[in-house]
Order: sequence, then structure tokens, then C-alpha cells
Amino acid sequence: MRLLLIEDDELLGEGLRDFLRADGHVVDWARRLGDIDAYRGEAFDAWLVDWQLPDGSGLDWLRAQRRRGATTPALMLTARDLLADRLQGLDGGADDYLVKPFAPEELSARLRAVCRRSAGAAAARVHFGDVAVDLAARGVWLGAERVELTAREWAVLEALTLRAGRIVAKTELEGLVLGFDAVLASNALEVHVSSLRRKLGREVVETVRGLGYRMAGAGPGPAEAGVS
Amino acid sequence: MTVAVPKQSISSRLLRALTLWALVWCVALALAVWLAVHEETEELLDDTLQATAEVLIGPLLADGAPAAAVSGPEGLKAAGSRRFVWQQVSHAGPAVVVRHSVGAPVLPLLATPSPGFSSLPEWRVYGVALGRDSQLLYVAQTTGERSEAMAELGFAVLLAGLPMGLLGLLWLRMRVRQELAPLLALSQRMADHDPLQPGATLGPAQHAELHPVHQAIDALAARLVQRVAQERAFTAHAAHALRTPLAGIDAQLAVALREAPPALQPRLLRVREAATRLQRVVVGLLTLFRSGLELQREPLNLHRLVERLAPEGLAVRVQATQPVSGDVDLLTAALLNLLDNAQRHGAQEVRISTPAPEVLRLHDDGEGADAARRQGWQAALDSQDYQGRTGLGLMLADLVARAHGGRLRLIETASGFAVELHLAPLLDLNQPET
Repeated sequence: MRLLLIEDDELLGEGLRDFLRADGHVVDWARRLGDIDAYRGEAFDAWLVDWQLPDGSGLDWLRAQRRRGATTPALMLTARDLLADRLQGLDGGADDYLVKPFAPEELSARLRAVCRRSAGAAAARVHFGDVAVDLAARGVWLGAERVELTAREWAVLEALTLRAGRIVAKTELEGLVLGFDAVLASNALEVHVSSLRRKLGREVVETVRGLGYRMAGAGPGPAEAGVS
Repeated sequence: MTVAVPKQSISSRLLRALTLWALVWCVALALAVWLAVHEETEELLDDTLQATAEVLIGPLLADGAPAAAVSGPEGLKAAGSRRFVWQQVSHAGPAVVVRHSVGAPVLPLLATPSPGFSSLPEWRVYGVALGRDSQLLYVAQTTGERSEAMAELGFAVLLAGLPMGLLGLLWLRMRVRQELAPLLALSQRMADHDPLQPGATLGPAQHAELHPVHQAIDALAARLVQRVAQERAFTAHAAHALRTPLAGIDAQLAVALREAPPALQPRLLRVREAATRLQRVVVGLLTLFRSGLELQREPLNLHRLVERLAPEGLAVRVQATQPVSGDVDLLTAALLNLLDNAQRHGAQEVRISTPAPEVLRLHDDGEGADAARRQGWQAALDSQDYQGRTGLGLMLADLVARAHGGRLRLIETASGFAVELHLAPLLDLNQPET
């Protein structure tokens, strides 16, 4: 997943960025609200937003995004633990609310849950023909066999699974999987898609000529693609 | 802390004083009335004697023959039941009764001539000279008759005064209650008053005397609101200043654990465990700091609550049979610290049960504590003299229990260590651990 982390604390920001990257996510880290302008127009799977930032309120920024129609899942990361704060955060547009201190493992799990829900798949395992993708366990099975994927291959599969039923433009998928590195390695995506097809079967990831990629065997949404 | 209701009551003291004063006043008034009436009645009765004598003089002067002449001491007794008599007595020689009315004593009432009023033990006598042969007319009334008249008058005065006094007393009691009613109303308003609500005031006083009380309470509430606002601001700052670095430390350690060579991992794991313990303490303290302000009591699902609290390497079993309600955040902080305590004292397993409604019992299989230490800790908890006498875990748990209106009890057990979090006032302190 491609994540936008908005956190001013160096120790926490760096720790989360590295932890999430090690989990196979693409993480862009903004230390202030002003830094977010650099990512304008970029697609993210989720936003991780600190409430109190040096140049403003993360919640106000999130509210503004929601008013503009943005539907990207958002997790509030904050030291504010009062019930009123939690309600304010959730009512302000956050999909989940995590009070500091928290274990990064819990953040990672909540992130997956929020993204699954956002994609319309409450269950962790999604089927595409013989291929079963478990978003919670971060694993993929071909029939009864577990298939080992690299972090990038998983990132491609996860991005397409979360958007099952719709065509994902190549540039969007590049952004989600490679982040800013996409500019530097323009054919990297094809390499990962090709590798994925080799491991899971050619028909799993369908190329829609001139438009992008789509998980094959999936209907309009994950539910029709066989959510278990 | 339970505050005893004072035995002295303004109402009862005031009523007692008023009753006493009313009684004294009634007695004094009755005495004054009695004296005045007594004086006037005496005068009236004397006037009657005098008038009777003047009426009798005429007929007696017209009829001069003596009707009787009796002497001897036995003749002085009033004959029959006559209470009003007269005698015509000659004082020419030894006093001799010349004539007398029916029932009058046969001997002279007075041995020496005594015109005007005279008092004898049994008679009140009025003498008047008849103007011939040194004779006097004595008109007399028994003292018994006069006393009876006085007694009847006194009784009538008392009969009239007593109901008035009783009615007055009842009226005074009613007035006292009415006048003290605003105090009760003020108590009720104070009980319902929440100064932390925006714009909340006690409102205008019902009486001028209560105005300063209202002002003092509103001033006190304003100081409380200011203090709470300061504490909230401080807590928010402290929470941000403490929670964010703790989260950062944990995130960095999580990354380091992944990246470190296997030889370093046990060491990093221990550091992360210590950091997690530190998080629990800090979160507990921060939660407790604001606990008095916003206790969010709700029915608890113990299984769900405990599910995420068990530290690595400690088995926690929940057996909830009784309802328990409380503030989830506060209880999380208390349980985290108690579980952490158990693990640090060698426990492999903790059983959490509910022996009674609103009571949580944690019993571990750790090294436990001897009776003397346990009693010492209990004494420290009971007196809230925590410093240097109990660990942070017990102190936190006790403060959390107290925030719910209860206490922490250390229970005697055959093995391990057991504590009970009473989340309501204690019912039975001596229930043995089973």
C-alpha cells in the first residue's frame, strides 16, 4: 500500500516509516501540513495523520479533505485520549483512531482492516478463481499451495486486490507501489506484474490495453470476486 | 470518605429554645395575670361585704330587741354550709352576739370592737358601728369560699392561656421550618449543581442571609473551573510530551528488532518489554490524573477488556459471573499494572474472577507475600499513605478503585497473590479467598 504519514515527531515518524516500509508498504512522510503540497495529485491507499502538527491541526486538514470529497481511508495518530477527542476525530473524517503510545504492529493491522473495509471487503481473504489473497495475513495461495511473493509483488497484488472490480491506471499503480521511485524506474511495474503472473498464472492480472490493470475473475467489487 | 451527619440541628435547637422560651413566657404571663386578677377579686369581694353591711344596717337599727345571746368557744365554728354570715355584737361589756344570721357562729367573730376589714383564719370580716350601745355589725365570708372563687378564676385564666400557648408553639414550629426550608433548597441546588458545565451558576438566593453563601459557592466554583481548566491543559501537554516519544521508542525498537542480527534480538526484546511497561505506567498515571473529572462508567465485557492486556508470557483466564461496570480506560490502566506486577513477581498465570457484583478479583500463581507484608501494604492502601510503602501498581489500582467509590483489598490466599478491586463501596471485607 502507498501511505502518506503526517507526523512531526522525528523519532516516531522515522520508526513508523521504516517499520511500514519493512512491511512492504510505500511510505511518504510529511513532517508538517505544508509538506503535503508536494504530494498533491498523488494517490494513496491511506493517510496516517497526527492531530497536533507544528503548522496546524491534522484533524482540520482531514476535515478539509473530506469536504472536498476525498475518500482515502485515514487513521488519526494522537496523544489525545479523551472520549470527546476520539469522537471528534472519528466524526471529523477519521476511519480509525489510535492513541499514542501504540505498537506499530497494531497500527499495521488496523491499517489493513481500514483499507479492507474501505475497499468493501470486510473479510480478510479474497478469491480470484484459484487464487486466494489474505490481506490480513499478507499471504497468497494458489489452490492449496502458499505462494511466496517479494515485497513489491505483494504491493502490486494488494493494490489491485483492494481495487478489485475496477481498472487501475498504470500511473496510479506505479504511484501506489513505487511511490516517487516510479519516475526513476518506469518499467519496474511491468517487471513486478510479469513476475506475479508467472507465480499465480497469466490470467490473474489482466491488462486492459491503454487503460491499466485489473484483477481477473473479479466482478464490480470484491464481494462478487468471492469474499470469504 | 464518609462524613458523619452532625447530631446538632439548627431546626431542633431553635425549636427547643423557642419551646423553653414559650413555657417561661406562659408561666410569667399567667403569674402576672393571676396577681392582677387576685388583687381585683379580693377588692370585689371586700366591696361585696361592705355593700352587704350597709344594706343590713337599716333593718337592724329599726328592730332593736336582741334575738340571741350565746357565749362559749365552740360557738365560733360556722354552722351548716353557710359561707356568708352576719353578727350584731355588743361590746358594752364582754363581747356578746346580740343577733346573727342563720348558720353564723354563735360567739362574736371579733372579741374587740374592730370596724373595717379584718382577716381571721376562717373568715374575712367587715365591721361597721351600729351607733348605739357600742354595738357593731360584722359581715363575714369564709376564706374557703374566697379561695374557691380565686381558684376558679385561676383555672379559667389557665384554660384560656394554654391553648393560646400551644397554638403559638405550633405556629412557631411551622415558621421555623418555613424559614429553614431555603437551606434545604440550597443543599439540593448544590447537589444538582455542576460548576464544570458552561455558564453554570447557583442562581439567585432565596433570602438576603443566603446571598453571601451563594456568592461564596459561585466564587469557589469559579476557582474550581479555573483549576480544572489548568489541569486539563497541563494533562493535554503532558500527554503529548510523554505519549509521542514513547510511541517513537516503541516504533524504533520494533524496526531494530527486525533489522538486528539474531544475537542482539533477545536484548532488544527485553528493552522493548521494559519500554512497554513504561508505557503502561505513564498511560496509567496520565489516565489517573484526569480520572476525578470524567469517570465514564459502563458495563464491562471482561473477556474483551482483558484480551489485549495480557503481557507476553502471562496466561490470563477470565471467569466473569457477576456484573461489573467501570471506566474502561481507568480499569485498563489498573489491570495493566496489576498484571505487570504479577509477571514481575514470578506469575505464569492470573485468574480474573468476579466474586460479587462490582468486584474484580485477580489471583496469580506467583511468589505471593507473607501475611505481615500484605497487612503492611493493606494498611498503606487504607490510609492512602502510599509513598515508600506500596509499589506503583497497587497504588494505581487503589486510586482507580477509589475513583469508582470502592477500594483495593489484598486477600489472604494459600498460594500466590490475590487482590480485589471493589468498584463500589465495600460490602464484606472479610470474605476469604476460595
